[in-house]
Amino acid sequence: MNYTIKCAAASILLSVATIQTEAQDLARRIPSNALAVVTVKGEQLTQLMSVEEFNRTFMGVALIDKLSNKNKGGMNSLDQFGLDPNATYYYYNQSNDSVTYNCLLAPVKSAAQIDEVYKLHGKKFEQNGELRSHYSKDSTGITLWNEKMVLFVLATGNSKYFSRPEVRERLGLLAPDFSAPSYADAVADSSVVVTDVDTVAYGAPADAADIVVVEADSAPQIVIDQPKPKKSAVKSKTKYKKKKSIKKRSGKKPKKKAVVVVPEEDYAVDSTMVATDSGYDNYTPDSSLYKHDDKIKNALAGKWAYAMATASFSKQPDSSILDNKDFVKSVDNKAEMTVWISGAEDLMNTYVPQSIFKGVNFLKGYGSANAKLYLEDKSIRLSTALTVSNEMATVFNKLNKRKLNKKFLNYINEDKMIGYMAYAMDSKAYLEEYPKLVSKMYGIVLNDEINMATDLFSLLLDEEAVSKVLKGDAIFVFNGLSQKEVTYTANEYDEDNFETKEVTKTKQETLPDFLFMTSSEDTRLFDKLITYGIKKNVVIGHEKYFELKMPKSPMTVFFAIKDGIIFFGSDAAEMEQIVNNRYTAKISSIHKKIIGGNNYASYFSAKKLAGKIPVDALASKEKMDKTNKTLSELGDIYLKSLPAKGNTFAGEVSMEIPANQKNALKYIMSLLENLDTKKADQQ
Amino acid sequence: MHYKKFLFILMPAILCCFSSCFQVIEEINVTSNGSGTVTLTVNLSSSKAKVASIMLLDSINGYKVPTKQKIQQEMDEVVVYLKNSPGIGNVTKRVDFVNYIATVSFSFQNISNINNINQRVLKKLKVNAVSNSSYTYNTTSNIFQRNYAHTTQAVLQYNKLKPEVKNVFKEATYTSIYRFDRPVVSMSNPLAKTSKTKRAVMLNTGILGLINGKTNISNKIILSK
Repeated sequence: MNYTIKCAAASILLSVATIQTEAQDLARRIPSNALAVVTVKGEQLTQLMSVEEFNRTFMGVALIDKLSNKNKGGMNSLDQFGLDPNATYYYYNQSNDSVTYNCLLAPVKSAAQIDEVYKLHGKKFEQNGELRSHYSKDSTGITLWNEKMVLFVLATGNSKYFSRPEVRERLGLLAPDFSAPSYADAVADSSVVVTDVDTVAYGAPADAADIVVVEADSAPQIVIDQPKPKKSAVKSKTKYKKKKSIKKRSGKKPKKKAVVVVPEEDYAVDSTMVATDSGYDNYTPDSSLYKHDDKIKNALAGKWAYAMATASFSKQPDSSILDNKDFVKSVDNKAEMTVWISGAEDLMNTYVPQSIFKGVNFLKGYGSANAKLYLEDKSIRLSTALTVSNEMATVFNKLNKRKLNKKFLNYINEDKMIGYMAYAMDSKAYLEEYPKLVSKMYGIVLNDEINMATDLFSLLLDEEAVSKVLKGDAIFVFNGLSQKEVTYTANEYDEDNFETKEVTKTKQETLPDFLFMTSSEDTRLFDKLITYGIKKNVVIGHEKYFELKMPKSPMTVFFAIKDGIIFFGSDAAEMEQIVNNRYTAKISSIHKKIIGGNNYASYFSAKKLAGKIPVDALASKEKMDKTNKTLSELGDIYLKSLPAKGNTFAGEVSMEIPANQKNALKYIMSLLENLDTKKADQQ
Repeated sequence: MHYKKFLFILMPAILCCFSSCFQVIEEINVTSNGSGTVTLTVNLSSSKAKVASIMLLDSINGYKVPTKQKIQQEMDEVVVYLKNSPGIGNVTKRVDFVNYIATVSFSFQNISNINNINQRVLKKLKVNAVSNSSYTYNTTSNIFQRNYAHTTQAVLQYNKLKPEVKNVFKEATYTSIYRFDRPVVSMSNPLAKTSKTKRAVMLNTGILGLINGKTNISNKIILSK
């Protein structure tokens, strides 16, 4: 008996281990230098909502309808399309100076079922042994699949790369390049991504009609239908020694004549088809030239995508993302989805051309980042983390030294509180560190100027004195909405001859009820400002508190200074209670912990706001009822920073889900379904 | 007049945070010889608190907020333009930045003088308007006519606005008042009503109806001889 149980347990463990290994195998296909990786855990999702349940949702119905091409294939479940809903899915991004790859990677349950989906949609694909391939229309996207996995790669050539004169010349680009040829700095690190030509072992798909991949011993060339530029004598003298089609095209004649010659090492185009540099000025922006260039660029990107995708199938990379400690550390099997970014600075450099910021580096010092989404039984939670350089970490730690003034808690009443936003930062440290941060950001481009400006900033400010006036912690408590009668001028008409006259009318204006608090050690400046305000008739003194006059605003703001706290609020009675020590505070330990324990914290209860919005503010009772219904269905939202761990700074956003919902995924689905129904009703 | 277009094209920034209504009033006094006066009023007073807070901003929802100086300057340019227009005189303007009410008044020698003015004024304000309205007054037959045809341009421009700005027009009203020195015998537009003296006609409608073409403000008013 014991032996049987042990065997069964061993079998289960083995099965689990096999599944894990397969999932890990796929991650092994992701190169270690991926810039970003998104992991979606299908198994976690199907535990929250079974495939059968998902099939019945509006999204499931729409998805099945789309994939089965309006049910031509008779499929009625998401697990009939070749992919395993319980598997782990990956998106990753890989970039270099010439190309960016966006890739989707998933394990396959049945390649035949995927074949069927393509057939249902009339999409042709090539099959070579077990491997199938399909090209997108412009050939920059390729999908490869076999019985183990499916990989979609979309390659986008980087504009900066295509702006380099030697690349333009080599590829025969004709359209004028208006982007400043700031290529000099990029030349050094340029490299064409395809170096592993021997991996191009699979045939080009039949419907990738405008691209044929062939090998070339030397002088690789690109020959594409040439536009006929006006009067421009553009000759094509491209040559190659040996041309060999990797795969015949299943008898189909190519739609367009485009031959891309795969380079062995480099492009060495003997090209007179390109006009000389001096000739660029004579070009007028002719759309045919751009189309011509786009063809070349897309063909090249397609070739890169093909090489990259086939390489992923033929062998695992020497070092995969699983060798990246930071990535591995970011993986949490409990999270339904994880987004990991290898370096915020790298990602910005890839997607935002440096010419935009002219050398200013806003993300200098910011390293890897990750975000994890947890769909739980009682809440939806998104946790984020950012790793920074030692230098930045020192700065942040200095800024985060200050915690929120605990006395603030004496003036919060949870019964009427709808939300709050609290922030604590050491103002002295901020003033001391700010010039250094600015200098770091702008230092490369405006070194001298920034140095002078930051020195002047430090010279003019007495950081110590300023930090006593405003210590750097504050909280804004939102206590609801109220109505106030306001006057306005309307035009009315007499009945005799419709003569117009201006009359004063009244109406109700909806205003927020709030209390704002900030700490101050030295209130002398505020005392002087109050005295000045009273003299100038913009401040009215009440007993122990003041009123700020705002002629054009219906809102009245009251303020007071007490026990090192400056109070601003909309409620005179509340202000009176505060200054006379009669305020009744009420705050739970949950909020005490959130507000007191973090440098940043905010909270909003939509449920508490429901029923407090005046009808006038929403134009109709029907609209108000709908708004109240929506608000009452939303859970409490929390946002907070978490204590730093080494150089990693983290935060978390969470939303409680209503009690009548079984789990977060089902709740999200119901919200989306409601939105979809509302949208359909509006149409 | 095309004041509605002026509003929803020129001042979306000001309008985009309103939940309250605003008024556009067009008053035309016509004498028996065809001359008269025009008063155009835009009243944003019921939303003055929001306008005041928006005026403190540089832009809102992607729309540039004009400064007081800019509004004054534009109004001054309109006045100069009107003064130089044939048949137009006694041009006055008033901008009340406390209640946010703007008024422009002028006299005309013949009602036909004002037909092209609106379009030109709008052009001056860099608003691409389409002429779809004209006025005629036949001194012999004593017939005053307001010809109005809805243009799809209005809907197209409206549809380009952001949803929050569109909401502004739901409660906005347009009022036209025509006053004469002799009694009205009949009029063609059932939406209009006559005053007790029978010497004035008023039509009060929502601006949204004008934008979407559901309201027609054309009117043929026959005066006694």
